[in-house]
Amino acid sequence: MSNKDIISVNLKVWRQDGPNDKGRFEDYSLKEVNTHMSFLEMLDVLNENLMKEQKQPVEFDHDCREGICGSCNLVINGIPHGPEARTAACQLHMRHFNDGDTITIEPWRATAFPVIKDLVVDRNAFDRIMAAGGYVTVATGNAPDANAIPISKIDADSAMDYAVCIGCGACVAACPNSSASLFTGAKVAQLSKLPQGAPERKQRVKAMVEQMDKEGFGDCSNFAECEAVCPVGISITSIATMRTEYVKAMFS
Amino acid sequence: MASFANALQSQVGRKILTGLTGIFLTLFLVAHLSGNLSLLIPDGGEAFNRYADFLHDLGPLLWIAEIILVALFLIHAYIGISIYRNKKKARPVDYKYYKSQGGPSKQNFASKSMLISGSVILLFVILHVMHFKYHLFSPETYMTSYNGEEMVDLARHVEVAFLNPWIVAAYSFVMILIGVHLKHGVWSAFISLGAKNPKITPVLYVVGGVVAVLLAAGFLLLPLYIYINGGLS
Amino acid sequence: MEVADKTTFKWDSKIPTGPLTEKWKTHKNNVKLVNPSNKRKYNILVVGTGLAGASAAASLGELGYNVKAFCIQDSARRAHSIAAQGGINAAKNYQNDGDSIWRLFYDTIKGGDYRAREANVYRLAEVSNNIIDQCVAQGVPFAREYGGTLDNRSFGGAQVSRTFYARGQTGQQLLLGAYSALMKMVHSGKVEVRTREEMLDLVTVDGTAKGIISRNLVTGKIERHAADAVLLCTGGYGNVFYLSTNAKNSNVTAAWRCYRKGALFANPSFTQIHPTCIPVSGEYQSKLTLMSESLRNDGRVWVPKAQGDKRHPNEIPEEERDYYLERIYPSFGNLVPRDVASRNAKNVCDEGRGVGESGLAVYLDFADAIKRDGEKAIRDRYGNLFEMYQKITDENPYEVPMRIYPAVHYTMGGLWVDYNLMTTVPGLFALGEANFSDHGANRLGASALMQGLADGYFVIPYTIGNYLTEVTPGEVDTTHKAFDEAEQSITAEIEKVLNIKGSKTILDFHRQLGKIMWDKVGMSRDEQGLKEAIEEISALRKEFWSDVFVPGQPATYNKYLEYALRVADFLELGELMARDALDRPESCGGHFREESKTPEGEAKRDDENYTHVSAWEFTGVDKAPVHHREPLIFENVKLTQRSYK
Repeated sequence: MSNKDIISVNLKVWRQDGPNDKGRFEDYSLKEVNTHMSFLEMLDVLNENLMKEQKQPVEFDHDCREGICGSCNLVINGIPHGPEARTAACQLHMRHFNDGDTITIEPWRATAFPVIKDLVVDRNAFDRIMAAGGYVTVATGNAPDANAIPISKIDADSAMDYAVCIGCGACVAACPNSSASLFTGAKVAQLSKLPQGAPERKQRVKAMVEQMDKEGFGDCSNFAECEAVCPVGISITSIATMRTEYVKAMFS
Repeated sequence: MASFANALQSQVGRKILTGLTGIFLTLFLVAHLSGNLSLLIPDGGEAFNRYADFLHDLGPLLWIAEIILVALFLIHAYIGISIYRNKKKARPVDYKYYKSQGGPSKQNFASKSMLISGSVILLFVILHVMHFKYHLFSPETYMTSYNGEEMVDLARHVEVAFLNPWIVAAYSFVMILIGVHLKHGVWSAFISLGAKNPKITPVLYVVGGVVAVLLAAGFLLLPLYIYINGGLS
Repeated sequence: MEVADKTTFKWDSKIPTGPLTEKWKTHKNNVKLVNPSNKRKYNILVVGTGLAGASAAASLGELGYNVKAFCIQDSARRAHSIAAQGGINAAKNYQNDGDSIWRLFYDTIKGGDYRAREANVYRLAEVSNNIIDQCVAQGVPFAREYGGTLDNRSFGGAQVSRTFYARGQTGQQLLLGAYSALMKMVHSGKVEVRTREEMLDLVTVDGTAKGIISRNLVTGKIERHAADAVLLCTGGYGNVFYLSTNAKNSNVTAAWRCYRKGALFANPSFTQIHPTCIPVSGEYQSKLTLMSESLRNDGRVWVPKAQGDKRHPNEIPEEERDYYLERIYPSFGNLVPRDVASRNAKNVCDEGRGVGESGLAVYLDFADAIKRDGEKAIRDRYGNLFEMYQKITDENPYEVPMRIYPAVHYTMGGLWVDYNLMTTVPGLFALGEANFSDHGANRLGASALMQGLADGYFVIPYTIGNYLTEVTPGEVDTTHKAFDEAEQSITAEIEKVLNIKGSKTILDFHRQLGKIMWDKVGMSRDEQGLKEAIEEISALRKEFWSDVFVPGQPATYNKYLEYALRVADFLELGELMARDALDRPESCGGHFREESKTPEGEAKRDDENYTHVSAWEFTGVDKAPVHHREPLIFENVKLTQRSYK
């Protein structure tokens, strides 16, 4: 391993003891960070160091570390999931930073995502939006043969483009208004492309939008910042689709 | 009907209303601009004055149009302000560091200043109406007659106003802001109203920019021409 | 702790009589039904919300039971099923290539190296078709042909094309389907989902499961939940190896606590090592990333012929390369099953011919495929995988061969269950990867998703009724003294681990355990190594309980406390895995014993002595467990030695 693979970084990490704590930044410096490490592995090292000094480690959410579970939620240098486009924080590697960089780490910030501790937030609002209508009603065992209703490849592919949402909430975190429109729109758009979703599509879009309002997310101003930070690149055409679905539902 | 009204108050409903009112207001600007540009016909302002007179003679129809226009304006402004208030509620603790990711993001000076540009435009519109309709800043009324037909010489009124460098400067500033507002506004309205074909949306973004530039340039043309030329003819 | 007397211990696999193809149908006709108006009186706890848990909770809620589902993640949608890439098998025969329920059954039982029950596997194949129907109806956007029908791809270990897929995110799409069904039931009030809540103990009354003790991971509060049945859907325990393709929070704790309360643990040593993972790059490595098995359709695996050849791969001429899979297995080549591919990669690296900085990797080369089909074709097939590889390694696989190495991926072992998926503790059921039932000693690709959903959607809704009809609903509530005792012991355990305040971190212990497991209970095992492993793990466990540092307080959000309790359980499980491997001197599937191989070095089964399931009974932490054996009876398939030459 050559020397150029080792850098040192300064971290400004948001620390908050609980939901009611005001929170503050704390500074740490890490020498000998291998650039092949992932960002979360760098935080692992930080925590190991802290614990060896019998100090409190930094709490952050993470699980699969391969960009699919949607657990990680770090705002790195002002951008949810960090500077690399279409990359969840767990897939971000330290080679994208330079020796001596100062890296700021904050949690998702939104009323609908209250901080639990340090960098960990509560994203159950997304579950409640899904519960309001993000499903197709089909009791187990009642399904017709899978090939009974043909679906054009174009529609199936388009539905898949929206279905890949990992529910991380970066869209909300990046939106200047803290809107959840990309998340909600992606599910509405996915099911609007499929015949299976058709019978309850009107009810679905109304209920999901209503729940999104209740949870305290902001309005969408078509900034498209959500699309820019989305680790799976969901397009804001999903939001436009949600609106046309909504208009159809309004007039019936 | 109650549910319909409720639907309009939801986030999505509000956005659709913003888009719709925005589109109508933009169309109004197009109509307004075509009226303005008739001043550039070298006929001593006759076409412009006749057009103003025609509108004036519409009587109750004009009032209805004006009421609709004011309503569109108020709805558009009201929703804009409520979006801003929601934004504050939705993120009371802001990021210490915040940066746009770039790429497909449409965060830029125009989109981030919608509330500011909108507020200035609102203020401007009030003053503008006071100025040209109620003669707030220039109390004298000029009259003219064409073939014996007596009418208000609004063209002269405009000419006098735009010979004043302060008015030209202020007016020009606001017209540029209108362009900035429309740069995000026109595109955003399309998306709000459901433009979702990924091949067309980038085109719409360009269209929005072109519309913004054309409208702003159109409105700037008249005051600059009058001021630089030292009058209409 | 109360331990059942082994001499009186009774267990019965409850496999229905009659011909194989009729067993499940007959059983469904014979199970006792719960009256619809009585269903609402029964409380069921579902622990885990992956494919098995979410599908079970949703289906049972629809039937009218009161269900509480638990997950340790912040949302049910994040369970690790979400990470499965390749696909899900079903015997639809949409391709008209001769597939059938029988063939899927046969491939699965053969792929498992004849160490699974015929009846369970046949049922799995039977319900596989319903799964696809169900998922499509839920709006899962499977890949389709231009004509609008479903597309299939081929997968290892089968000669037909029966794998349904949704790009490289099949697990995600299936889980989101099950999750949406679950959220619908949440909306209707029949299911309550408790997120960020971890089961820490099973509560039994007179040996019957009556509830659980859990910890609210946000507040640290210890909670009691009483129920008439408990379903364990908590996945596998690959993280005992520290580095695996499992999610960081995947753990054995819930299953292990059930084992300690009397549930037998079956075939714990049966671990699947996946051949195509991105190799370890350094000491800091926290997890391993899988590259889909489908890459072996076009990639050629090779290492240099000479030891210690450190040249750049593109500078090594063709004649100095050893395409060892093609050389050793001319008929299957690069498409040999997972266990065979993994073992051979290990062998060449052990010979000193491994590549990369660590020498623990082999090349997976696409140069020939790109030359043959063009870069675009390869990009269409594997674009997203190549992108992921490049993100992690910073190397462009279109120009430089990929480096891959085997990694722990799946655990076939798990809690012993009968045909009804009930463990040896009445009222405690285990579903999905948490049980041992369907994959024998090796799981075929695209079968894990199938099993999770089969158990949750189509098996448990029938079999649980059979048990519940014999239970008085709500017999035990949380004031029962069994709850007092269980809660006290958990509280004491947490206090104890927090108060050690030792000098080593939890990660130090986990890494050390992982190293022992990988070296001695990993891809190849021998008697001496296994005996050493048992000693070393036991010593490490003692050290853990005297020298670990766990930060923070019990009654707060404290991820390292969660981690400490999980590692403590891994330190017990690891030893059991070594014991299980030691007591099975044959090689089968993913379990390879150096002492049992053919003259060519291939795995050699010993059907005469080891055609059985090993099920272990807990007797105390530092005591040897009791070994039970369930004989496997094959009436329908003939046992043959697998050969891929």
